[in-house]
Amino acid sequence: MAEESVGERNRSNAFVISARKRTLQKVAKTAGEGMLFSVAFFVAVIVLFIFYFVARDAIPFFQIRGFSEFFTSTNWYPADEPGEFGALAIIYGSLMVTLGSALIAVPMGVAAAICLSDILPFSIRQYAKPVIEMLAAIPSVAFGFFALVVMAPLMQDHGGPMLMWAWWILVSPFMLLFVIVVSDLMTTNIKDEKRRQHLQRLLMIVLGLLSIFLLFKVGSVLNGIQILTGTNALNVSIILSFMALPTIVSVSEDALQAVGRDIREGSYALGATRAETIIKTILPAASSGILAAVILGIMRALGETMVVWMASGNSSHIPEPWFNYLEAIRTLTATIAGDMGEADQVTGSARFHVLFAMGLLLLIISFISNLVSERIVVRQRKILSGQ
Amino acid sequence: MLMTTDVRKTSESLPVQKATREIYLPPQRSTITGGGAAHIAAKDFSIYYGEFEAVKKVSADILSKYVTAIIGPSGCGKSTFLRAINRMNDLIPSCHTTGALLFDGDDIYGKFTDEVLLRKKIGMVFQKPNPFPKSIFDNIAYGPRLHGVNDKKKLMEIVEGSLRKAAIWDEVCDRLDKNALGLSGGQQQRLCVARTLAVEPEVLLLDEPTSALDPKATAKIEDLIQELRGSYTIMIVTHNMQQASRVSDSTMFFYEGVLVEHAPTAQLFTNPKDPMTEDYITGRFS
Amino acid sequence: MNIGTRKILDRSFTAVGIGSIVVMAFALMIVVVPIVYNGIGAVFFTGTVEHRKMLHTEFKRGDSQDLSSAVASSNRYRAKVYDMLTSFETELETMAPEKKAEYQSKYSQVRTTLQVLLGPLPGDPEPMLTRFKYGQTRWEKAEEKLHDLLYESRWDNSNPNVMSQEYFVSRAIGFEGTSLVKLFPYVKDNLESMLLPEFTVYWGFITDSSVDSHFFGGIWPEIQGTFFLAIGAMLFAFPLGVVAAVYFTEYARPGFLNSMLRSANSTLAGVPSIVFGMFGLAFFINTMKVSESKSVIAGALTLAIMILPTIIRAAEEAILAVPKTYREASLSLGSTKWNTIATVILPAALPGILTGGVISLGRAAGETAPIIFTAAVSVGSAIGLADVFSSPTPALSWNIYNLASEHEAATQLRHVQYGMVLALVTVVLLLNLSAIVLRARISKKLKC
Repeated sequence: MAEESVGERNRSNAFVISARKRTLQKVAKTAGEGMLFSVAFFVAVIVLFIFYFVARDAIPFFQIRGFSEFFTSTNWYPADEPGEFGALAIIYGSLMVTLGSALIAVPMGVAAAICLSDILPFSIRQYAKPVIEMLAAIPSVAFGFFALVVMAPLMQDHGGPMLMWAWWILVSPFMLLFVIVVSDLMTTNIKDEKRRQHLQRLLMIVLGLLSIFLLFKVGSVLNGIQILTGTNALNVSIILSFMALPTIVSVSEDALQAVGRDIREGSYALGATRAETIIKTILPAASSGILAAVILGIMRALGETMVVWMASGNSSHIPEPWFNYLEAIRTLTATIAGDMGEADQVTGSARFHVLFAMGLLLLIISFISNLVSERIVVRQRKILSGQ
Repeated sequence: MLMTTDVRKTSESLPVQKATREIYLPPQRSTITGGGAAHIAAKDFSIYYGEFEAVKKVSADILSKYVTAIIGPSGCGKSTFLRAINRMNDLIPSCHTTGALLFDGDDIYGKFTDEVLLRKKIGMVFQKPNPFPKSIFDNIAYGPRLHGVNDKKKLMEIVEGSLRKAAIWDEVCDRLDKNALGLSGGQQQRLCVARTLAVEPEVLLLDEPTSALDPKATAKIEDLIQELRGSYTIMIVTHNMQQASRVSDSTMFFYEGVLVEHAPTAQLFTNPKDPMTEDYITGRFS
Repeated sequence: MNIGTRKILDRSFTAVGIGSIVVMAFALMIVVVPIVYNGIGAVFFTGTVEHRKMLHTEFKRGDSQDLSSAVASSNRYRAKVYDMLTSFETELETMAPEKKAEYQSKYSQVRTTLQVLLGPLPGDPEPMLTRFKYGQTRWEKAEEKLHDLLYESRWDNSNPNVMSQEYFVSRAIGFEGTSLVKLFPYVKDNLESMLLPEFTVYWGFITDSSVDSHFFGGIWPEIQGTFFLAIGAMLFAFPLGVVAAVYFTEYARPGFLNSMLRSANSTLAGVPSIVFGMFGLAFFINTMKVSESKSVIAGALTLAIMILPTIIRAAEEAILAVPKTYREASLSLGSTKWNTIATVILPAALPGILTGGVISLGRAAGETAPIIFTAAVSVGSAIGLADVFSSPTPALSWNIYNLASEHEAATQLRHVQYGMVLALVTVVLLLNLSAIVLRARISKKLKC
């Protein structure tokens, strides 16, 4: 065609090059890009490898022992001959500390994220963010050491009073708010302003006295509690929540920031207070992003090893009663870390493979939750950009 | 989606004028030697962003060593057309073209075009001054170094020459090793022109070069264009019709991707042939 | 709701938000303050003459003349203690057998605590372990041991409903009527003269190797091991991560493959750290056989995989933050894409990439779980650079765990543990702080 003749023409200083040179250029470009691609692909290969190599050593366990014992029995005696490998209590322990840390970290983390994105002025935010980053940077073993050496003795010696003070400090402000709001809500329908105010005050006093009574009653019960061991699920949950907080805060803050300014302004323009704007319009719009943040934060707590290994007490049983956070427990990660040393010498035994089975369980849970949170983030972005 | 249908509707209702093939010789510029040959020629040239046709079947000759202004309302495709000339649109993955765009008789979008060599010959200055975060010297020397000039003395010559051509030498000659980001906006833009001149292009594309500048700096850039006129083929996209009439020899008016009128500047501004052009230059829409 | 209540709700909402940030800052303080306070005690403390003796014998440090005069003066006071012991022993021989048996066990307890306090007593055989060769090297520990000498600890189990309580009984009462009863007030009054406490700055804690599994000496092997592991991990992960980020930002075209690669990246970021450790064991050591068993290289590779996603993400963000105009300018000057990336984009993104690198370095230094099965040993001396391919190493993070949880004298060595934690936290926080400063400077630079 005509192009061919154009290509052959040999002008000085022309931008048109020969077919040969063009092909060479293309080959070089493809080769270069291919090299870059292979490096990026390396990451995917590693993920596959991790799955393969963990599964490779996990499957023999299920072949030897089957599934039911692992998931339904609480008898964990791997060193016995023959060993018993019931991991139910261990799985339960993992869930327990994960849930416990989520209960502490999620409300705090979301509140802090809201505060960072909507409440604090920029000048303060500048200093608040590094604090959160520092918290994220402290190595887990330092947290574990703190939990074991500082926190555990404190809990053991002053457990009851600590619980009581925590209860008072945390609950009393909310109790007060509750009293104000309920007494307001119960009197909204009264038309006569004077009577309404009168009634509201009366209600406040009655409800206030009731709640003070409740505060003291529960507080004294808590004060009487004796914590038998400082290395328990509560200790670990508190420390793990410190570690999950930075993730939750930074990811939810991103989600909140993604909600546009116009939505906020629309709500303010209708006469909403800041709290109402945030709760009624911004949080719903950012909810899926926050959910993703929570999942990521929880995963950090579930996958954390050193803190639980050092400070959970490593006792493989389901607490009595099942929600007793003041007892020692044992988690999947700590079991892997602690037993691998002993199991290593007898490679090939069920004792070795059961640890990989636990690793596979962790891996699958983290994989699924990662996928879910990723989907959620993508969906939120689509919804927000669609608006 | 909405946008696309809208555009189509209006473009159908528009009296589309096919670009004329005649050669313009504006009276005030008739003395330029070498002027008159078509340096860049578009033939039924269209640019698409995915499905959307941003520039529609443009045919035009851009004359050598002339200053050609491109005017039109925002979103009319004038920048897209300009950027297509040195293939900056390649950066947008969904962008493709049909028709022919010839430079010195060779298709810019041809199979054997090396866009790197092409861009060496067709330089571009952007809307916002964009010096690299390097020293002034390194900014100017960036292009020559790319194309194999490494001799310090030679580089210095090129840098001085380019800066002089861009009329900024006197302002920066004593601080060539300072960071270019420390210059004022107008100086930065002239530095960008100098940087482009340093690779010795034949064509200079200016994409709204003064839109980010204050009036004083704008005047300096316009003076610079006057200086360069006759040495380079210059194309300038501008929002500002006064600017177009001040600096250019011929003017193209784009509307919704269509080249409505292409005429010598004096003629286009005093006696537009197309009613759309007249409406635009008299400010009935913008 | 009436407007007053709404306002109260609004304010308290704000208060909750600010409160949770304050709580986070407070949590940071609560964790860091005891670590810093006690960790400094590993270097700055009141050392006894035993510490100087130890330094002189084990590390050949200190002036021997000063030391011998100090030892002589302390021995003058100690001699009286030893005399009391010998005279009590002779007294013991003359006692009735049942009385003798009763005193014998009490006496041996006293001897043991004295050995712990002052070091081997005259006539004792030379101890095998270094830890028994010296008395208390730190004054605050010596005071604790003095308490052990003066009082015997007992547990009160009388009330089955509450936890048993510890209480103390004076040992002197047990020796009422014997010659040994004088020993207790004597030691109490003259302990300072026997141990000669003085303020000590022991920088050797950072640069010395440990003596007898951290009873004495410093933590240099751990610091060096951490350094090797973190730097090794960076050597693998940093180039790979930057190249992958360049691919993702500059070359990848949207599509199934690309989204799969990105999923892989975030999956890798979410894998629990202990699973990396298992993978390192199963892959690098058992399958690839990069080394016979645990080694620095296996640990560094495992850590590299762990920090890879972080580096990729940081580098991607940094590259995307480079203004598009730089790219356009460079291309319009006739630069090739590769040239543009190498000469304009990467230099402009470098501070951001380095920030990510520095944070990852901190993470690699602080992480424990991946190196448990791949690189860490609890006891060991510093290894040479040539040994990284074959031998494991002690590392700060692992040895903190090991000393605090598995060491036979964990409660005795809190000061060493605190010192290690402080060293690790300092390294990691300094790295992060420098990253924060670096980033602040970048954003300032981009603004002007």
